[in-house]
Amino acid sequence: MSEPNKQSAQMSAQPIRMPGGRGPRNMMQQVEKPKEGKKTLGRLIRYFQKEKKLVIGLLVVVVVQVLCSVYAPNLQSKAIDRITEGEFDLLSKVLISMLIVYAIAGLATLFQSLLSAHLSQRMVKRMREDLFGKIVNLPIKYLDSHPHGDIMSRMTNDVENISNTVSQSLSSLVSGVLTIIGTVAMMVWHCWQLAILSCVTVVLTVFATKFLSGKMRTFFRKRQVLLGSLNGTVEEMVTGYKTVVAYNHQDEVIQEFEDTSDQLTKVGIIAEIFGGSMGPVMNVINNIGFVIIAAFGGYFAINGMISIGVISAFIVYAKQFGRPINEIAQLYGQIQTAIAGAERVFAIMDEPEEDKGGSKDMEKAKGVISFRNVNFSYVPGKQVLYDFDLDIYAGHKVALVGATGSGKTTVVNLLMRFYDIDSGEILIDGVNIKDIDCNELRRNTAIVLQDTVLFSDTIRSNLKYSNPQASDEAMIEAAKMSNSHTMITRLAKGYDTELTESGQNLSQGQRQLLSIGRAFLADPKILILDEATSSVDTRTEKHIQDAMVRLMKDRTSVIIAHRLSTIQDADFIVVMDQGRIVETGNHEELIEKKGRYYELYMTQFAGNAI
Amino acid sequence: MFRYLKKYWVFALLAPLFMIGEVLMDLVQPRLMSTIIDEGVLGLSNQGVGDLKLIIVTGLQMIGLVAIGGTCGVLCGVFTNLCSQNFGNDMRKAAFRKIMALSFEQTDQFSTGSLITRVTNDITQIQNMVSQCIRGFVRNIMLFAGGIASMMLLDISFGVVVACALPFLVICVAFFLAKVTPLFRVLQKKLDRVNSVMQENVAGSRVVKAYVKEEYEKKRFGDANEDLVGTQLRILTLSAYMTPVMNIVLNLSVVAVIYIGGIRVEQGDVTPGSVMAAITYLSQILHSVMMFAMVFQTISRGTASYRRVKEVMDCVPVIADGEAAMMSGEAATVNAEAALADEKAGPTHGKAPRKGPKGAAGGRVEFRNVSFAYPGSSGEAVLNHVNLTIEPGETLAILGATGSGKSSLVNLIPRFYDVTEGQVLVDGVDVKDWKLTELRDTVAIALQKSELFSTTIRKNLLWGDSEATEEELEKAAKDAQAAEFIHAKSEGYDTMVAEKGMSLSGGQKQRLSITRALLKNAKILIFDDSTSALDLKTEAKLYEALRTHYKDVTKIMIAQRIASVKGANRIAVLDNGNIVACDSHENLMKSCEIYQDIYRSQLKAGTEVSADE
Repeated sequence: MSEPNKQSAQMSAQPIRMPGGRGPRNMMQQVEKPKEGKKTLGRLIRYFQKEKKLVIGLLVVVVVQVLCSVYAPNLQSKAIDRITEGEFDLLSKVLISMLIVYAIAGLATLFQSLLSAHLSQRMVKRMREDLFGKIVNLPIKYLDSHPHGDIMSRMTNDVENISNTVSQSLSSLVSGVLTIIGTVAMMVWHCWQLAILSCVTVVLTVFATKFLSGKMRTFFRKRQVLLGSLNGTVEEMVTGYKTVVAYNHQDEVIQEFEDTSDQLTKVGIIAEIFGGSMGPVMNVINNIGFVIIAAFGGYFAINGMISIGVISAFIVYAKQFGRPINEIAQLYGQIQTAIAGAERVFAIMDEPEEDKGGSKDMEKAKGVISFRNVNFSYVPGKQVLYDFDLDIYAGHKVALVGATGSGKTTVVNLLMRFYDIDSGEILIDGVNIKDIDCNELRRNTAIVLQDTVLFSDTIRSNLKYSNPQASDEAMIEAAKMSNSHTMITRLAKGYDTELTESGQNLSQGQRQLLSIGRAFLADPKILILDEATSSVDTRTEKHIQDAMVRLMKDRTSVIIAHRLSTIQDADFIVVMDQGRIVETGNHEELIEKKGRYYELYMTQFAGNAI
Repeated sequence: MFRYLKKYWVFALLAPLFMIGEVLMDLVQPRLMSTIIDEGVLGLSNQGVGDLKLIIVTGLQMIGLVAIGGTCGVLCGVFTNLCSQNFGNDMRKAAFRKIMALSFEQTDQFSTGSLITRVTNDITQIQNMVSQCIRGFVRNIMLFAGGIASMMLLDISFGVVVACALPFLVICVAFFLAKVTPLFRVLQKKLDRVNSVMQENVAGSRVVKAYVKEEYEKKRFGDANEDLVGTQLRILTLSAYMTPVMNIVLNLSVVAVIYIGGIRVEQGDVTPGSVMAAITYLSQILHSVMMFAMVFQTISRGTASYRRVKEVMDCVPVIADGEAAMMSGEAATVNAEAALADEKAGPTHGKAPRKGPKGAAGGRVEFRNVSFAYPGSSGEAVLNHVNLTIEPGETLAILGATGSGKSSLVNLIPRFYDVTEGQVLVDGVDVKDWKLTELRDTVAIALQKSELFSTTIRKNLLWGDSEATEEELEKAAKDAQAAEFIHAKSEGYDTMVAEKGMSLSGGQKQRLSITRALLKNAKILIFDDSTSALDLKTEAKLYEALRTHYKDVTKIMIAQRIASVKGANRIAVLDNGNIVACDSHENLMKSCEIYQDIYRSQLKAGTEVSADE
């Protein structure tokens, strides 16, 4: 029963949540393992490749910065030595070189931040554009069968994640690795025994990080799940507030919310405590390292194995060395998460795009539509249309009627090539629609859908969406034809009224009128109305129909409606039932027949519904 | 805000105390470290011969102190979190509770999206602010003051350096904050824009494709994206300048300290060790200034969020229990308690009073000279002096053009909005005098937009009556013509309704929401155009079921199709907020021009019908 095409969710009420959103996506937010880490990393690197100059520049700057930061402490201790030794005249020389090194370091830091900012933003911009370009060209089938929230989250959370990782961690990763290598090299060069002893700190750090982050991960993940469900509750209940009130369900809803909120708080506190203990623990470990070096260094010095200067150097190195190890341990998780995000982004990019059809145009098309033995199913095994055979003549107004789920909307989906048929063919003026340029096909066919889609823009832009070149006069004419002109002029800003997201400042019926106006303005060869007037009263509908007759003279229109009044003066009525055509003919013929249509008609007019 | 904090004052007090412990240890540490180096390793007072024992003893001391400091730090974290998160939790709950008590005109005003952010993001920001205040603020003040004090103790001249460096730093930070803070707001807006273009394209993909607007949308997105990236870059660039400038100030001060220190050592007033210590303190002081900048940012973001949450908290629901209801409200509580006691005795007893329309004859609705304009609108009246009485058990249909005020009219009955003029009475009592929960228990409404929640079908339906038995559920579903498709699902009533009911068709959603309304077993049943997606046969069956099984219930139906309303006792024809006629189908056909017009619009030719009849 549930046709995927019904899933073209309304524009309304799906506010975008930034980080900390809901859904399984975020559940995994805290460090998740990518499935094909290497492959994805490779693709991600290819994104970097296009910014080669920036990357190289960044690397150079980072190297300079690391060199400075390794060298500066040396100078500082040299200066102190000068003071200790009382060589005050040499002091200013050292101080001047210190100033120079600091200046270079400062410049390097500046360029590093600037370069990585540009790098990350350029990458993100490209990635977003690539992804958006892809999504726009995906077949409807993909969008119908994937939760929109999930697609949105890839676009926002995942891309954002990659961006943050690139801008923050790339340079700290590089500088961290370089610092470690440099420091280790210096340490080994000075005294390998002490160097090995310093590694105790590393081992401790790694263990502590592993233990703590393991704990953290569990709780952060739990917290993320709870946060997701909390946000979900809030969103659902606030959007569905009217129902909540109508059923006096406030107390139950509050209870549910508070339970989740309490749980979230509990888990959140534990997670944060673990997270917060990372710093102090590392502090202790670093100090242990310091004592080890001082003690063993002192011992070695007393035994004459090393000079005292080496010890003080080692102390500086040990300090220098602890920080990047800490950082890298934490970066590791962040990078993994980013790669997992990239994997999801690439998964969309790898989806096959919509088939854009052949190259035939429709310039001289009259609008003769033929369905030949069309079979179709959204999901394999659940056929929706069976041997659908139908000829629609140019200039005719054809109506499709039938119960919910009988396959009416499917016919529209196929005609617009939102979906491709399983077998048979659909022809327009004798040309298979697969051979027609898809854009050409759609440009000549205007549709008004069951679920009204309007954009958060002015009414003017929404109307002209179908035909940006249209003059204001043509627009007003179309608005008049769709009976929306009076209503628009009654708004304070008229045609320049901004529609809010999902167009909530208009009633359902008014929104339908606007989308009909939009279709009229397109001046199409084929017009399809799919339950387009369901929320419009019948008199207004009648006016629109009269206008349509004028507009669509010599052109083809297909109308789907529950209300028989909508379709009575159609040239040809097709009655559908469970994917099959059961009756065809015009109103009089079908009434005459006393078949299915007659039955429907009687329930509606002669019947006694209430 | 302090109201919420008061509860956790112990935590709020303990956290800084432990923080002091941590910071004290941090302040002691450099001193011990220099003892180890000076005396233990370098053996300054022992002609360059190190003292291994001293190293180990002091070293162990140091590790011990650091461990104590660390423990203090962890404990401080524990208490900070206990305080800030519990506080946030309380506030979040209070905010949500408040939202659940707001009147529609208020939720309309705030817009749902903004209400959602206020309960989620804004509360988190405030929570961050509290934890930053407890921890960051205290810590930095201590480091700052302690650092300056220690430095002054070493030598007054070092204080001069700090005195010179500080203003620079403060100016830098202030400048940066002044520049960046407004940019963050801009950034959020641009981000929203990108997201909304994205959202529109994902949800409206059919329209985009149908009008071949892919390229246009790409451009639209590209512009929004470009804009966002530009703003982001500006923020990043500002930050990029910030760090080196700060560092340069810091490093210059270090150089200055060494230089001045050199002179002072030469004069013999200061030891080299104190120069080293001064450098450590100096960086501590300047770091704390930079940290202040961050704390400040969190605070400014937090206060902005607090203001937004407070706006909601300060809202007094416009629509509240009537005064006359207060007394009966108490009675109701007593009743509820009694019911609860009954329930303990046996489930059937407890349920009995809830079943069946309360008071057999109730359900009379009366509009007395009602005018209504949406609050906050330009004041244009949606309803003008409406007079209408609906008798218990009557079926009244409302017909009218788009925007004629049909929905507004029925929204006044459960008091979703208050009338601007006149009175709405239910069972002879002004709705303003009713206790809200009782009023809304009396009225069941199936809304135009069927709102279902992402849980099982069963749980959605049980909203109508949480104690309904399986038979009652099945009966309501059957009456609403929903039983058939529910059973066709592999999991029946336990099928999950996906987010926003995406897995269901429009007609199915409507039937579920009708089932839910029927299950409520209220005296007044309102269908706000809630059968529009049903095909005619199903609709006819539904009405048939209503007629036979809900005889005593007052039924008010908004509809578009004449066929839907034809069998009603009376049909009210609404035009531009006025009731132009209210009578049976037959009479309206004779007397009401608009009705005839509507009738004609639904038929090809009037004559044909009579021929058929």
